[in-house]
Amino acid sequence: MKPAMPTVIRVGAKPDAVTAFGIYFDGETAIPNDVVLTIDEARSALRIHVGAKTVIWPLADIRRVPDQADRSRQLLRLAGDPVARLFTEDQLVTVRCPNLGRRVPTLRTGRLMSWAAGAVASVAIITTVLVPVMANQLADVMPARGEKALGDATFQQIRSVLAPSGADELRLCESPQGVRALSKIRTRLEGAMEQSHELTVAVLDHGMVNAFALPGGYVVFFRGLIEAAESPEELASVFAHEIGHVDQRHVTRHVLRSAGTIGVLGLLFGDFAGGALILFLTERLIRAQYSQAAETEADEFSIELLPKAGVSPEAQARMFERFRAMAGEADGLLAHFLTHPRLSERIDMARNAVPEGFEGTPLLTDAEWQELKRICR
Amino acid sequence: MAGEDPSTSTNPAEVAGAADLPKVHRGARRSEDTSPDLSEPEVHKGRFTGGKWRMFLLAGRTGALTVLTLGFYRFWMKTRLRRWYWSAVRIGNFPLEYVGDPLEKLLGFLIAVVFLAFYIGVVNLLLMFASFSLFQGSFPAYFLSLLGVLPLWFYARYRAWRYVLARTRWRGIRFGLAAGAWGYAWRALVHWALAILTLGILWPRKTFWLEKYRTDRTWYGSHRLQQGGRWRDLLGAMKHLYVSVGIAAAMVGYGAITESVDMVVRSLVLSPWIAYGLAFWRARSFSILTRNKTAHGITFESQARPARIFGIYVLGYSISGFIALFVLVPLVLVAAAIFSGFGFGATLDLGPLDDLPSWFLSLLGAVLYFSLFLVWGALRHAFVTVPLWAHFTETLTVLDHDGLKNVHQRARDEFEEAEGFAEALDVGAAI
Repeated sequence: MKPAMPTVIRVGAKPDAVTAFGIYFDGETAIPNDVVLTIDEARSALRIHVGAKTVIWPLADIRRVPDQADRSRQLLRLAGDPVARLFTEDQLVTVRCPNLGRRVPTLRTGRLMSWAAGAVASVAIITTVLVPVMANQLADVMPARGEKALGDATFQQIRSVLAPSGADELRLCESPQGVRALSKIRTRLEGAMEQSHELTVAVLDHGMVNAFALPGGYVVFFRGLIEAAESPEELASVFAHEIGHVDQRHVTRHVLRSAGTIGVLGLLFGDFAGGALILFLTERLIRAQYSQAAETEADEFSIELLPKAGVSPEAQARMFERFRAMAGEADGLLAHFLTHPRLSERIDMARNAVPEGFEGTPLLTDAEWQELKRICR
Repeated sequence: MAGEDPSTSTNPAEVAGAADLPKVHRGARRSEDTSPDLSEPEVHKGRFTGGKWRMFLLAGRTGALTVLTLGFYRFWMKTRLRRWYWSAVRIGNFPLEYVGDPLEKLLGFLIAVVFLAFYIGVVNLLLMFASFSLFQGSFPAYFLSLLGVLPLWFYARYRAWRYVLARTRWRGIRFGLAAGAWGYAWRALVHWALAILTLGILWPRKTFWLEKYRTDRTWYGSHRLQQGGRWRDLLGAMKHLYVSVGIAAAMVGYGAITESVDMVVRSLVLSPWIAYGLAFWRARSFSILTRNKTAHGITFESQARPARIFGIYVLGYSISGFIALFVLVPLVLVAAAIFSGFGFGATLDLGPLDDLPSWFLSLLGAVLYFSLFLVWGALRHAFVTVPLWAHFTETLTVLDHDGLKNVHQRARDEFEEAEGFAEALDVGAAI
């Protein structure tokens, strides 16, 4: 029993009326005490008669312990006392307590706020600074063999996912004349590059108007893109853009980055119902931001490379205009270019990059261009 | 005695008990008890006072709030569900009380995020890099990342138990778990490795020793619990699993060697037996471990029935599954309508769904998706967890040989990190 507990000595007035019975635990021992409960009206307090002793609970400080399964009796506590408990089946006591449902604070909010700020800062720094910086550094030192393996695996995956029904994988387009024309463009672009890359160039037999780069120097065109281009220069502008992705190791960086980011986001959302969906959407959002920056970098790379290779960046502007015109009939798979909202800006950027009085050198003869367009036949 | 620090208590009875703890068996045990008092014990029978329907409403309501707050409310949800479950478990005349606080859980989670975000982010990235550089593939990275998290996972689990016990009371007296999470983590790693390497034969050994580690560090006020018995006592509880899984493995193995798919398919006939084996193990291992626990004159009896546990699983999941279908079927239809709008599977005729605008379909899909998780979660609480708790409680008896009158309060274990690590790592998703 707490020695500091006030003991009340009544002077003169008549004894309180018995209001209820209950069982009291003092929080020091496990012994249940059958108690008589009375209300001291003068002090507006509950008197718990534990044998010869009396415990005083001010009515305003009595709280009901919430979410109890057994509703046949109430479990009461005192706001300032963490351990003492009172069970009572009588409603007579509880109707007199004005603050029954009020919360009992256990924690200082300042502490909570500072850790919350710490957690937000830590996650923000890790996902926006530390992980990207590390991913960039590590992508640059990743051995070529590792990158090639990553590219090979992804390329095979894409070919089998897009395979027409009845086939195991999407066909490669390899007509000898077409391949020769394509490598002529490639040689011209490579000749203008400061740093050489081991490129693997392929054309896939699919109508999608798109092209992509993969780790390990993969530059892959779909038949649809070659058909949509109206000149070898337009095709070369896409080629240069994809080499830009290879040069900057965008995909490798992205793989490393998402390995770090997904784990951290998983921590935050935990296992609540449907949390996986939120996790997925957040990751997509971060990825979109990142790929927009990557597209801009690849654009910059290509408009710098094209004039050196004797191709006007104007060709890139015209290619983008074609994409913009097609956006109306988008089937969602032009995504690689069309999901970027600022296509107009990209067109302007390419057009402004045309050097004063620039005269391009044709990449292919008409005959070669026609052969390239038939590469899938 | 009143001012005694429970963590340094060296009660003579306890030391003597640890030195030559008698082999404890059903029935013959009580007279051999280490308690100095041999008079008739006071019997406190277990009783479960909670109903399915109220749990369904509570889980549904708090689950909905969790979804609406993007997961933020889950700390409150967990606290409220625990308060309810604990209060429904009555031993003798008095229920357990859970005094955990949602805000302290949130704080613990934030603390864990600060430490783990660094570890998870940087380590996963490095592993992915090493995996591609050295092994030309991503699989080793996932494998190593899982392996790297395992010790943390066990660590977090022990810390979560410590938090939950520190916030559990009975008759106004606190429970507690002594520190020892890293000790638990490495023991768990070794025992799990042994259990896996022996194809599950040493599973009961793992269960026993981990339970003993935990129980021997558990306190009720000033009384420390003790896990008696031997791990071999649990072998019998595994008999159905040993035989049923053994036969199934042999059939699958034979099928694989002779390339007979039939044999593999036929082994599915054994799945009800395996399911019964799991229920049998759950009931028997709980009973055996419980009967062999003691705490200074307090002993336990448990009569959990395998058939009842099996019935709860079968019936509970059937009912939950059937009701959840009413959400799942519309969800599948809406998903089909959304995808056919994108040009996939355009041949499906979905009737009126085809005419709805796509934003409406997406919204409907999202609502149904979250409803499915909510309804399933609430149903599982109502039809599986509540009946299981009810059965384990009502078959439990606490026998008090004057132990309760000597128990004293223990100091509060502040434990600021709460179960933050477990929360962040998704450990112990049950409640």
